[in-house]
Amino acid sequence: MSSTNTEFQKLVAKLCAASEKNYVNPYSRLEWPDALDRDQWFMSPELISLHGTEAYERLSDSGRQKLSFYEAVNFFSLNIHGEKALVEGLARRLYLVENQLISPYLHHFLDEENKHMVYFGGFCTQYAGGVYPDRKVAFAREYAEGEEDFLFFTKVLIFEEIVDEYNVRMAKDKRLAPIAMDINLIHHQEETRHLAFGRKLVREMFAHHVKEWSEEVLDRVRAYLADYLVATWKEYYNPDAYRDAGLDDPYGTHVRAFAHPACRDHRRSISAKCMNYLLENGILDREPAL
Amino acid sequence: MSREAEIRQALREWVVKTSGKIKPQELDDETPIIERRIISSVHVLDLILMIEHLSDTPIDVGKLKVGVFRNINTIYRNFFAESPDGR
Repeated sequence: MSSTNTEFQKLVAKLCAASEKNYVNPYSRLEWPDALDRDQWFMSPELISLHGTEAYERLSDSGRQKLSFYEAVNFFSLNIHGEKALVEGLARRLYLVENQLISPYLHHFLDEENKHMVYFGGFCTQYAGGVYPDRKVAFAREYAEGEEDFLFFTKVLIFEEIVDEYNVRMAKDKRLAPIAMDINLIHHQEETRHLAFGRKLVREMFAHHVKEWSEEVLDRVRAYLADYLVATWKEYYNPDAYRDAGLDDPYGTHVRAFAHPACRDHRRSISAKCMNYLLENGILDREPAL
Repeated sequence: MSREAEIRQALREWVVKTSGKIKPQELDDETPIIERRIISSVHVLDLILMIEHLSDTPIDVGKLKVGVFRNINTIYRNFFAESPDGR
């Protein structure tokens, strides 16, 4: 990273200043209604995982709004699980010698991700009685030099790029319940900085490590990231949400929706910006089948 | 076909389809699917959903023992047989 250290240092300083200036108290920022009228939208209809499928077409307006509530609970739940892993990984990397340059910003990153979990967890706990369980499992394995750090920050970036596409659209969707709009808006405002940081860091890390990695390691990294993209998307099609919304055959609905051409088009459209980044920087050498 | 045979068959088909690295005739119920990297950790979410569906029981991933996904036999024993052995 040495050739662009000054440039990166400037970005870190700029992002730190922005985080300090826009510092938010998560306990006073949002107004939480005591209860929510379920006959309204909590996810934009076009972003509901079943949108465009026969299962969605069969639902009444009220059924679609009910599904939108549980889809929001799922969206917020998977954000919590992603952010828990992120906070754990960021904390582990604070003040390591190789991370001296970025440590000042890691403090803000950690602080802001913790606040996001307050919002997401607040919604799920207060209105849905809890968070949907995480089904991700990690197996210990050996890594090449720099591979584990690179995969960590790239997975964070992929996860946040997809989430941010949802946040941007829902933050300005006036059909949504105000609390749902607000949570999406505040998340987007802070994620913008995290994404700027992540894009720069991942590009620099890849350029640095790819020169040292063997073809075998590079192939492994690319295959893992392609699989990660697919796995990340699978979480958006949660049988638990379908079951709570009263749909028949929740697992079959999950399988059919994921394979549906309309849903595949949706995933490709939402992932386009992230995919372009990964391809343009050579991190992936071909677009994985989403 | 017995229920056990159906479940084992569904698990083997899932492994072959998901992995793309192994032919049906190369996979038996003792093939180490994680150790040989036939299946990676990012595939396990899908596997868990399928096991939950087939067993009609939710899985708490925080309580999973090491090795439960080692092969088809360990998966069957831990999630479908009456006495999980944790191997």
